[in-house]
Amino acid sequence: MDPQPEPVYYICGDCGMEIPLKPNDVIQCRECGYRILYKKRTRRIVQYEAR
Amino acid sequence: MEHGSLSDPSQSTFSLIDEDHTYANAIRFTLNQDPRTKFCGYSIPHPSDNRVNIRVQTTGAAAKEVFKDASQDLMVVCQHVRSTFDKAVVDFRMSKSVNGMDIDSNN
Amino acid sequence: MSSDNEDTTSSSESEGADSVKENATLEFIENLSDVPMGRLPSNIEFQRTRVDCKADAPIHTDTFQYSGAYSSMRVENSFLDNFCDNFRVEVIRLTEDEMEFDMIGIDPALANAFRRILISEVPTMAIEKVLIANNTSVIQDEVLAHRLGLIPIKADPRLFEYAENNTASEKNTIVFKLHVCCERSGQRLSVKSKELIWLPNGSEFPLESQDSKTGSSSKPKTYTSFTCSQDSLPEFSSNPIAPALGDILIARLGPGQEIELEAHAVKGIGKTHSKWSPVTPVWYKMLPEIVLLEDIEDQQAEKLVAICPVKVFDIEDIGKAGKKRATVARPRACTLCRECIREGKGWENAISLQRKKDHFIFTIESSGVFPPEVLVTEAVKILEEKCDRVISDLS
Repeated sequence: MDPQPEPVYYICGDCGMEIPLKPNDVIQCRECGYRILYKKRTRRIVQYEAR
Repeated sequence: MEHGSLSDPSQSTFSLIDEDHTYANAIRFTLNQDPRTKFCGYSIPHPSDNRVNIRVQTTGAAAKEVFKDASQDLMVVCQHVRSTFDKAVVDFRMSKSVNGMDIDSNN
Repeated sequence: MSSDNEDTTSSSESEGADSVKENATLEFIENLSDVPMGRLPSNIEFQRTRVDCKADAPIHTDTFQYSGAYSSMRVENSFLDNFCDNFRVEVIRLTEDEMEFDMIGIDPALANAFRRILISEVPTMAIEKVLIANNTSVIQDEVLAHRLGLIPIKADPRLFEYAENNTASEKNTIVFKLHVCCERSGQRLSVKSKELIWLPNGSEFPLESQDSKTGSSSKPKTYTSFTCSQDSLPEFSSNPIAPALGDILIARLGPGQEIELEAHAVKGIGKTHSKWSPVTPVWYKMLPEIVLLEDIEDQQAEKLVAICPVKVFDIEDIGKAGKKRATVARPRACTLCRECIREGKGWENAISLQRKKDHFIFTIESSGVFPPEVLVTEAVKILEEKCDRVISDLS
């Protein structure tokens, strides 16, 4: 099971702040109250062919 | 690269893989220069296949030998081109530096 | 011509003596004073060596390669016998990036072969694999990777081998790192190619492995396996590897955006992908010859000089009373736009635009990997290798 104290950071659609959210949190920016949050880009290394 | 030949060794078709107009046109030129060649030409059966067919018909000598000699001639031509070019570049550089020195000495 | 009479008399002879008669006929023809044996008549020599560019299309464009083409005139059409004596190269212009030189006495088949090899078969190094760790810019990952691939890399490909099948070692891969970040408070940042930093020790990104031990071995596995640093090789310690030009724009970053990636460059040829082509580009043209068949004077001469966009013609004053005549001053500059013969039939009969079939003016612009004279030498070497391969295959 995913341990509880492992917050994932989301980016607010309006002000661009990083907001940590845990499961069962309200989906809302802490600063401006905007309700659309975007997930951050993966940290995995992606490989492309330069063609 | 293979060659396909019939019972008659003075005529055959050479099928080269991984070659195209670059090499085939040049070798066709040197083959034509050989007086033993009665007929020579090349074709590319399909542009997606990386293959070229070179047809050689000679006045009696084995087509393979004539083809090999033509390749040899082409190699000699290339070597001569390379040496002439290198010499020309060196001459050009020297003449440019001599001109530069002349201008300097005039000053 | 007297030869026609001879032919009709010989055909009326008996069959057995025909061949003897024909030989005698031939000898008679050869001994006539106005038949130039050993040399081609001037009109055939023109056909053989010049392309005549008429107003609608060029004529005599073929080359006569067959060795027996002029054997009936007892003229040897052999190119190779005299090649070593007749072939010349004259360098007109030579700079670090560009070169213009003339090849005289060579056939179009060979000139074209060299051009094709220069474009597509001289190997160079170019970025092939891009490992992106972070890209928050507006340029998409694949677009960024494509742009990186097109950057010319100043590394001698002769010191590297072709990379086969995922064995990235120091002998076949060059690794670059790009890590740029635009500050939140700052201005927009342009990421240029000089920000690509060479990593002589190989990749720094650790490989994700499912069975990683917690007490891991001394060196974590990365995307490349370099056994020694490329820095230690003498060729690279004095000339560090870098992109050929430092001010190629890769991306633009707004505030707070970041790019972090690694790029692996390998050896390849232009045939596979044009990013590996070392020239930008290379072309040749045949030497133009412009012949004024009739004298063009006064007003017509002025018109001719004005109409040519590259100033091929010039005015020459002929002594008496300001009479002017047109002359050909710079035939080399002719681009075959045919403006001078477009006006009408009169012009077409007065000016003859010709091209010499065995004199080629090559222009090479290098992309920075090799200096242009080295490129030509490499291309000729590659053609030699092809011949070698065929010879060894046939033996």
